[in-house]
Amino acid sequence: MNKILIIDDETPTLTMFRFLLSAYGYTVLTAENGEQGLALFDQERPPLVLTDIKMPGMDGIEVLKRIKKIDPRTEVIVITGHGDMDLAIKALNLDATDFINKPVQRQALNQALKRAEERMKLAHNKDQEISVSSENNTAVIHIQGNISSHSEACLQQAYQQVVAMDKDKILLSFNESASINGAGIAILTQLLLDAQQHNYKVLVSGLSDNFKKVFNIVGISKLVEEIVSGK
Amino acid sequence: MKLFADISIKNKFFFSIMTVILIISVAIAFLARWMLISTLTTELEIRGIALASSIADSSSGYILEKNYPQLLTLIYDVQQVSERKHLVAYIFITDPENKVISHTFTQPFPEQLRVANSIPPEQPQSIKLLHIGKKTAYDVALPIREGIYRIGTVHVGLYKSHIDTLMDQLRFMFLGFILLIIVIVFLISHKLAMYITRPISKLIRISNELSRGNFDIQLDNIIEGWKPMDCPAYGNPDLPCKLIEETESSSGDKTEQATRNLLACKQCVFYGRRKGDEVVQLANSFQNMIWRIKPYPQQLKETEEKYRSLFDSGPDPIFVVDRNSLEIVDANPRAFELYGYLKEDLIGKSILDLGPKTDKDYLSYFKEDEDAQGCVYYPKVIQYGEDQKPFFVNVHACAISYKDKPAIIIEATDITDLIEKDAQLIQASKMKSLGEMSAGIAHEINQPLNAIKLGSEFLEMMATENLDVPQNEFLRVVNEISNQVDRAADIINTLRAFGRKDSLIKDELDLNKPIKGAVSTVGKQLELENINIKLDLSEQISPILGYDNRLQQVFLNLVTNARDAITKRNKKEGRKDGGTITIKSYQYGNKVFAEVQDNGIGIPQSVMDKIFEPFFTTKEAGQGMGLGLAITYGIVEDHNGDIKIYSKEGEGTTFILSFSEAV
Repeated sequence: MNKILIIDDETPTLTMFRFLLSAYGYTVLTAENGEQGLALFDQERPPLVLTDIKMPGMDGIEVLKRIKKIDPRTEVIVITGHGDMDLAIKALNLDATDFINKPVQRQALNQALKRAEERMKLAHNKDQEISVSSENNTAVIHIQGNISSHSEACLQQAYQQVVAMDKDKILLSFNESASINGAGIAILTQLLLDAQQHNYKVLVSGLSDNFKKVFNIVGISKLVEEIVSGK
Repeated sequence: MKLFADISIKNKFFFSIMTVILIISVAIAFLARWMLISTLTTELEIRGIALASSIADSSSGYILEKNYPQLLTLIYDVQQVSERKHLVAYIFITDPENKVISHTFTQPFPEQLRVANSIPPEQPQSIKLLHIGKKTAYDVALPIREGIYRIGTVHVGLYKSHIDTLMDQLRFMFLGFILLIIVIVFLISHKLAMYITRPISKLIRISNELSRGNFDIQLDNIIEGWKPMDCPAYGNPDLPCKLIEETESSSGDKTEQATRNLLACKQCVFYGRRKGDEVVQLANSFQNMIWRIKPYPQQLKETEEKYRSLFDSGPDPIFVVDRNSLEIVDANPRAFELYGYLKEDLIGKSILDLGPKTDKDYLSYFKEDEDAQGCVYYPKVIQYGEDQKPFFVNVHACAISYKDKPAIIIEATDITDLIEKDAQLIQASKMKSLGEMSAGIAHEINQPLNAIKLGSEFLEMMATENLDVPQNEFLRVVNEISNQVDRAADIINTLRAFGRKDSLIKDELDLNKPIKGAVSTVGKQLELENINIKLDLSEQISPILGYDNRLQQVFLNLVTNARDAITKRNKKEGRKDGGTITIKSYQYGNKVFAEVQDNGIGIPQSVMDKIFEPFFTTKEAGQGMGLGLAITYGIVEDHNGDIKIYSKEGEGTTFILSFSEAV
């Protein structure tokens, strides 16, 4: 059974999380503050951590930093206040797997957990993260895993391949497990601006609701023709 | 004595002088009478003795010879000589055996005469006053001697009426003389009294006229030759005289300073001493007095009209209130207008009926001390109009004397508009605070919502997937959901209470209540910012009179300020935590204190005196209006409280609020 560590200053929330995640089949560890959470993490080394961001004392961002320092492979999902995108992006930049808005919806929780699981599997074959294919008059870039500064070379390469195909449309097809951090967004923005100059029609598909929101906030949505839900 | 006091001066003079003259006259009369009578009696006696001895000398021969007819002739001759017959009443001679041998009586000899006056032995003669019939006479008895033998006794009776006639004449003359003197004295005293009383009577007449309010009487000639026009300063603007100038210029608008600058001549013809006796001096000073007070009634009337118009056209309601009964004695038209009463309804009403029973502080100043003078000022006093609608006034109350009775003049400035604006400002500031707090509040409400959501998602999942929920877990989840709903409702109630407008009337309240309210609103948020809130609240403090909501706003502002100060210091010094806000409440004497202390950046000395000014802010543009502390100050002032700051740059700030306990 997978272990999961939940850090939240609210005891009722912790209780509810424990019931829910136990029902999912996780072994649930809980901590009421950052320090306690870190100590428990160090001791139990769970591969998955859920942490609230706004906490007295050590906050969620600090916990995220420390955990990534101890074990960068750990998947950390942050829980943010409703619509607090600045903190969400800040967490993504620090290589958080995903963020969930409060109040936590089961669907969002499921997606985030699923993405985390898939990323854990993908961790072994990083090269497969970005691939290119072509369908009719559309060039497709498949994206899975985590888009970060490390992905710049792959993305640039994929973009060049797409340009070479000389199609009207470019489809950015995100896998459900895909996540993008701040650096990844910056690279993507750069590529999309270039595509706009060359009059490519860019479509985006497969984005989770969370990342749709992020794209809206950072302005990527304005650079693309359409964001298609699902496949 | 009373009788004497009541009669006129003229009669006083007359009677006084008369009495003295009469006393002296009577004394002189008696003295003169006594002297005259004794002198005349002695004279009479001497004459009697001389007569008797001459008879004795001439008669001894006849007696020895017993020639009694000759003897009779002798004594007749002696008695009848010229005027002597008026003086001598009788003569008779007795022999040694006391037998009458000769007498001049034409009727039978009165026998009692023979023994009435006998010469005692060893005496040369004897004189005795005797009554013979209707007449009175001195009987002079002298012995007739021949050698060493006594051969008889001669008695000469001398009429006393002789003396009486003289005395009568004298008395008549004396009385006539006194009568003459009385007439003269009467004339003199009358003249003298007239001289004194005539000007006095005139003064009395003028005084009566003045007391009847007639100031237009002619008084130029109380004393002849005296006229105010004789003064060189009269009507002369180049000679400013403080004594006479005023009479000419009826304008009362001369300032006191200007009046003081006026001069008087060293040798004032007007007020200087005039020649003459006390009556002239009195009349003179009386005339000066009239001259001085003559213009005053007119000036008084003008002044009264001037102030009456000020009173009537005053833009604020003014009441004159009897100090003892607190009844409204007078009020200006603005008072009727603002309070909505008719004049006859308002006059006579107690001033206490115009406001709520609790709000009488401004009158207590005059109640506590009967002799309290001066003025008091009380802001924001609630008043009720005729329609019982409340409005606010600032009250100025001064002790005055109105129609010779102690009174209070109360000016009430309508500040309802101001208060409404104030309330709007406070409300706006509250809304701003709410806006600032919204992120924190959202977080606060999200916490229970999150737990509720998770719980319900858990139950839903278990239900849809047909899984069994253990009894204890089910109960736990459901209880927790219920608790979290209560928690969210609490937060919303706090917010609603905070956003609500205050009532107009202060209530008794525990100062800890607004402190706790403010802390519960922002406490969690501060905790998330790693700012510690320490509460050190005394439960023994007395209640104060105040508005809970507004005081909550005060503490919220102070705590928010403290938070900002701590954040600033953290930023400047790069520290992460260690910020502490300490809130204390305690009582000292009859004052209740609250302290909000932080260890933030502190207030520079240079801006210390500005921080309560509206629109003063050290925050960047767009961060704050600079109204928070101004509003805080305003609210504390509304509670008749005081606010003090102790601050050291880099170490922190302490705000100390003090309020009077409710009585």
